[in-house]
Amino acid sequence: MGSVKRITKELAELTQSPPEGITVELAEEGDVYNWKIHMEGPEGSPYHKGNFLVKLSLPTEYPFKPPTVSFVTKIYHPNVTNDDKGSMCLGMLRADEWKPSSKIAAVLQFARQLLSEPMPDDAVEGRIAEQYKNDRPRYEEVAREWTRKHA
Amino acid sequence: MASTSVTASTSLPDHPRPSRLRRFSQLRTYTQTLSSTGSQRSRNSISSRVPWRSSVSGSNSPVENSTTPCPETEPSLSRYTSAPAPTYGIGELNSHASSTESATSTPLNEVAETPDEMARLRSASAVQHPPSRTLERTTTNSQEPTPSPEPSVASNHTAEATPAESNTPPRAETKATIRFFPYTDASQSSRPSLPFVPVTRTLPSESCVIRVGRYSERDGVPIPNPTEPTDTPVGFKSKVVSRKHCEFLYVNGQWHIKDVGSSSGTFLNHMRLSQPNMVSRLYSIKDGDIVQLGIDFRGGEEMIFRCVRIRIECNRSWQQKPNEFNKNTESLIKNLGKGETADYSGCRECSICLGSVLRPYQCLFMAACAHVWHYKCISRLLHSPDYPMFQCPNCRAFTDLSADVDDTNEIDDTPANDETGDQASNSTGEPEADAPSTSATNSTAEPRDHLQELPEEAMLANNVENLHLEELDQEMEHAFRTVSPALDPASTSLARSATISIPGWQPSLPLSVPAGRQPHLRSDTPTSDDNPLTPRNDSGPLAFDGRAGMP
Repeated sequence: MGSVKRITKELAELTQSPPEGITVELAEEGDVYNWKIHMEGPEGSPYHKGNFLVKLSLPTEYPFKPPTVSFVTKIYHPNVTNDDKGSMCLGMLRADEWKPSSKIAAVLQFARQLLSEPMPDDAVEGRIAEQYKNDRPRYEEVAREWTRKHA
Repeated sequence: MASTSVTASTSLPDHPRPSRLRRFSQLRTYTQTLSSTGSQRSRNSISSRVPWRSSVSGSNSPVENSTTPCPETEPSLSRYTSAPAPTYGIGELNSHASSTESATSTPLNEVAETPDEMARLRSASAVQHPPSRTLERTTTNSQEPTPSPEPSVASNHTAEATPAESNTPPRAETKATIRFFPYTDASQSSRPSLPFVPVTRTLPSESCVIRVGRYSERDGVPIPNPTEPTDTPVGFKSKVVSRKHCEFLYVNGQWHIKDVGSSSGTFLNHMRLSQPNMVSRLYSIKDGDIVQLGIDFRGGEEMIFRCVRIRIECNRSWQQKPNEFNKNTESLIKNLGKGETADYSGCRECSICLGSVLRPYQCLFMAACAHVWHYKCISRLLHSPDYPMFQCPNCRAFTDLSADVDDTNEIDDTPANDETGDQASNSTGEPEADAPSTSATNSTAEPRDHLQELPEEAMLANNVENLHLEELDQEMEHAFRTVSPALDPASTSLARSATISIPGWQPSLPLSVPAGRQPHLRSDTPTSDDNPLTPRNDSGPLAFDGRAGMP
């Protein structure tokens, strides 16, 4: 399995020099396809001081198919579905946008970037996106509250 | 059709036996004449119906391969090397005639054409013979005697065909080239669009227009990818494509598209250009644009009711020229096996396995965009359902892996490569890479870069830069041309004379390949056509049943 080799390599890289605010570990020892990621809410965003548990699962066809990123911790964010799945909509993770040369580190950094700068035009939660665009203070308030409650 | 050419070529070499008494060289040219004219003619007769690719498949017959290593350049040669026959006497002529009769598959028009052919030849033969001898000695490649007489022959011919020459524009170094690739929308669950073989068009002059419309029997099948610049219309066998659907124009260095009154519409990136049966204004197109012709007809499931989705590739000529990125890769590959001091630290990694790529003793694949991966890592993308199409996972450049080897590049590369030695030969004969994939790499002609990822403004800026680059290259080319006659008169005269198109000639035959270079390539690297491992598409560009894109 070529994918295991690459994933192990990326995992080693990420654990050795983790990106800012992100720690990575395997969800289960021996299964490289499911990762558990702790992501700190970036400073300046309503998610600051929150600690979000993110699940990243890799398809066996990785890197030819994109990984999926989902928030286990509930989060009030236009690009994360507000259900028990908490799946995140990342542009670069769509099948036609994905490139095998993209690395997981880039995915995670992009995900964290999305916390500080949501993309309301690319939203999965239309209501939150609407609020983000039109009533920013209210959105931030709710997001902060959720962060305090859940994260 | 393959059988006709085989019978022609196998039966013929027996006949010139009577002339064995003559000098051997003469016999050699003679046998070539017979076999090649025979096979070539039978091809010509069908070439109006069968696309060029499938005619190449006829060259699989071993006999033909041995006698005509380069079938494309053969016709011009064969006519003129047969010149000795009329002047040398009746005995040969008789055997010539008898052999044509015996080759039953040879179409009649050969006999019909012979008189005027001979008349032309007789005038040329007197002058032609001595130089061909001298040239034969100077030609280094002794294995292929065919190309050697050609320079003199062709240059002789220029005298006859001066009017034709003045009509055909000289081959410019940079031509407006556009490519059409089938586009499959991965995100939508829509039906697949009409499959077609990638089409390349290079405009002979800026004023030319590429017409796109429904394929029609009356026009005959256009050659999908001719080697010469041409504005042959592009035909798609779909009912939703109008006979006159749209046109591609090259205005002020920019490609444009125009709907010429199609009934079911032309869509540029999902935007309809005009109302039904209305001519639209010009819309500029850029690389990567998606053009859709017509809308799927819901009444039928057959391929013929599918719309055509084209991915445009244009303004990419700069990538086929040496640039920093591919030169860097080239030098890395060049130093690959040279052991001890080689520095692999600066090597790019394989984006699939994230391992370092350029190490000796590994099978590598290099795409035309100079991105390199381990063959094993990339093979999954090479042997995909859309096989002849390969998308670079790094820069998303689309490549037609079944495209013919583009020799014209070599001429452009030469001045640049002179400084760095034998890079050209290195890139074609890269020892580490898997053989089929190397040939595929060579055959792909549109490298692309990380520039693809730049925003549009940057792309524009890049285009401007590229214009400068191209101008520079032209200058270099000129310099090269002016210097070269002294250095290598044979090859330049050859390259020039080969571009001349002759009135009354078979226009469908790509006879203008620089003949001196082609045989080298052909003999060294197996083309994708000859490779038994690569899937083939012999059904031509207009296969109905979806086989066109399949292995």
